[in-house]
Amino acid sequence: MDQLYGYVGKIARINLTDGKVTHVPTADYVPKYIGGRGVCNKIFWDEVGPGVGAFDTENKLIFMTGATTATGIPTGGRSTMCSISPNNMPEQYCWSGIGGWFGTMVKFAGYDGFIIEGKAAEPAYIFIDDDKITVHPAGDLWGMLVHQTQKKLEEILGDDINSIVIGPAGEHLVRNSSITTSNDSVAAKAGFGAVFGSKNLKAVSVRGTGQVRAGNVEKILKLHKTMGKPIGKLNPIQYKDSFTPRPHINFPVPGGVKQGQVACSYGCNQHCNLILLDVKAGIGGNEKGRTNVVNKCVGIYAYKMMEDSGWTPQMSYNTPQNDYSGCRFISGDGFTPDKTDPALQQGYMERHLGDIVNYWDGDYDRGNVINDLCTQYGIDRWDVVVWYMSWLAMGKKEGVLDDIDFGLGMEIDPSSEEFMKRFLEMVVYRRGYYGNIFAEGMARAIRTLGMEKYGKTIYNGRISQRTGNKQMIPISLESAWGHCCHWAGRGFQGANDITCWLPIAMELMTSTRDAQTNTHHHDSFEYYLEVKNDPCHNPRVASSTIFNEHCAELKESLMSCEFQLPQVFDADIESEMYEAATGIKLTHDEIYQAAERNKNLFRAILIRNYGRTRDLEVGQVYPILTYPDADGRTVSWEDFNDLVDMYYEQRGWDKKTGWPTRETYEKLGLKDVADELESIGRLPDDRDKA
Amino acid sequence: MENSETKYGRHIVQYPADVSLCAGCGTCEAVCGLIHEGVTSPSIKRIFLVRDTTMTEDMHKIYACQQCTDHPCYDACPKKDSAMCIDEETGVVYVDAEYCIGCKLCWKACPFEPKRIAFTLEKPRKALKCDLCRGRPEGPACVEYCQVRCIGLSDQPVPGKEAE
Repeated sequence: MDQLYGYVGKIARINLTDGKVTHVPTADYVPKYIGGRGVCNKIFWDEVGPGVGAFDTENKLIFMTGATTATGIPTGGRSTMCSISPNNMPEQYCWSGIGGWFGTMVKFAGYDGFIIEGKAAEPAYIFIDDDKITVHPAGDLWGMLVHQTQKKLEEILGDDINSIVIGPAGEHLVRNSSITTSNDSVAAKAGFGAVFGSKNLKAVSVRGTGQVRAGNVEKILKLHKTMGKPIGKLNPIQYKDSFTPRPHINFPVPGGVKQGQVACSYGCNQHCNLILLDVKAGIGGNEKGRTNVVNKCVGIYAYKMMEDSGWTPQMSYNTPQNDYSGCRFISGDGFTPDKTDPALQQGYMERHLGDIVNYWDGDYDRGNVINDLCTQYGIDRWDVVVWYMSWLAMGKKEGVLDDIDFGLGMEIDPSSEEFMKRFLEMVVYRRGYYGNIFAEGMARAIRTLGMEKYGKTIYNGRISQRTGNKQMIPISLESAWGHCCHWAGRGFQGANDITCWLPIAMELMTSTRDAQTNTHHHDSFEYYLEVKNDPCHNPRVASSTIFNEHCAELKESLMSCEFQLPQVFDADIESEMYEAATGIKLTHDEIYQAAERNKNLFRAILIRNYGRTRDLEVGQVYPILTYPDADGRTVSWEDFNDLVDMYYEQRGWDKKTGWPTRETYEKLGLKDVADELESIGRLPDDRDKA
Repeated sequence: MENSETKYGRHIVQYPADVSLCAGCGTCEAVCGLIHEGVTSPSIKRIFLVRDTTMTEDMHKIYACQQCTDHPCYDACPKKDSAMCIDEETGVVYVDAEYCIGCKLCWKACPFEPKRIAFTLEKPRKALKCDLCRGRPEGPACVEYCQVRCIGLSDQPVPGKEAE
């Protein structure tokens, strides 16, 4: 075989039912599908048909790295997993990104990824020891917390291994269970921890001692100094009297705060994870009950949530003079804007304050305990903080929960550390009637309890700081596909304006889950100025949506990170990364066409396996848009559909069905996909004929 | 007690976490392999990041050759002055891969744990040891590319404490 650069050449197929391991050449899928999620899509399309549920033995979990993984390219250390998500409603094919060192070790072991099939008869873990892959009994590990599991695997296999593991939540098939790396990076939103659990799979460990050869060393080194404009400043552990992760979360902490910043994956040139040191553990911890907790985004809201996060156009839009990536803001490094930039006179830095929500006040111990419990149990921190907790807070204030007794021996109070400990234990171990209900995730729980009362009751304690009006939004912050609001212009992180939440709604529309882990909307500030007055009738909103969706595909196919890409004023960054890793030159147009191919193959899976149509997806995302955003704006059904028309048209999808045309598939080299869809009557022409 | 200033030559040091916390990214290891061999690998490196896996302690640890002035690795080498050599100008002990036979006696002689010498993957597995990127005008690549500047050279002032 010719020398490979970036890729290492093979994908393992691991069957848990019979323990057999075979190999698939990576070259069967790349460069056409780039890597990562693109390869997952192709494998899933070929191998998993309609009618398979998330917990069925026939479901597969595909773990893929990208060409950049393990090459040292910043952010390239990340990986992606794809499978049928139990946390989506309905269950559908889905993806989940993850950081950590695990994916890099998989590459060093000689694999670009692995496909997990079947179901182990008893609890098991997989050990990838360089070339040799074996399945082992995990009876002793079953029931362990995440950190215990990580440690035990090191004791068994050696401290030079790296693992991804599930906690009790995954074992109990809690639908929003996570899979966790050794540095507490998680794949959570899709609930793939429960897919592991359904396969009796506790962990995958890897020892990789091999090498990855880089395609272009000089380019990699250059990227280290340019991607995300790293500032290379010192990163001292800081001792503070108060906890201030964001301007609106600021409260004194008796005893002080000890904090630092750490990277989430191999070779990253940023350090956007906030690590809080020597804090109160939720469970386990050291002999003093202390631990460290890693936060990126949502965890900080467990500490205090009296006001929703704010937004400035500068967070989503860039100018040539003020062009910074998201990791800068997450790490707290911020930036000093170039004040000569004319955009500053046009509202570029205008602060859009978040709504007053009055959920829970500052409590450092409670925040750490909840975050630690989420990590240790292996349950999605996002769902816990943003959905369970906010619903409990709003429901209690509206009296909706007065007739509910969880049997926890205390009053419902999400601001209470002790209550949340008992509540999470009830959910994770499916204890009692309510434990089983909430272990199904909030979307399903609300429907079981009764949507009208428990979902749609309006919360009266929310005030827009933009308009001064009461925000009449429901106590359950559901958006679409069984997920909750996220940069949706309302709900949580809802201060972004219509130029931003409208394309985000479209990105959610064609997704199967909350897409905001890879598609926070970005564009130039010029876009903002151009579309802000009438975004529903400006084709640039549609093209911007498509641009962001393609960026998302590339982030999880090349492997990169949501917080460094896109670089709006460096259109060739993805091509540069790909060439640096593989030595293969793809132009901007070629690599974006690969992204479009991946998106359309994802679309084809949804159409073939789940009957995805325009009516279905518009119907999913539209209802939440009828509630006012932080500016008091909504969008009419007609206007939203006008925008959807433009979007489908630009995508080459039929406006009536939402299905890609044969011409679109064939342009992307997906003729076989078009043929298969035609055979089941799911090409637009066929439906029209019918 | 021996004076560390005379016991060790110029070498890579990790600063205390109060100066700069290692972010754990592994870029130091990655650029080491990239610049010297064009590869990344947990095996092929001259600087050793030991991550605090479950994060129950404060920080990740970074280790590199201390450039011992009594150079036990050099002394142990059966091919000294051809495989294991001493730079006359700087005193840095370095490996000339062409002559290394992969006997591992240098590794056995290294007094540190973890050992500060690694080996190539291909046989004969030749020794890899930090020589401060000898001959590289910019100096050690790991120091140059460390995003949080948590490593530096032992004879340079600790960042932020230059005036002390």
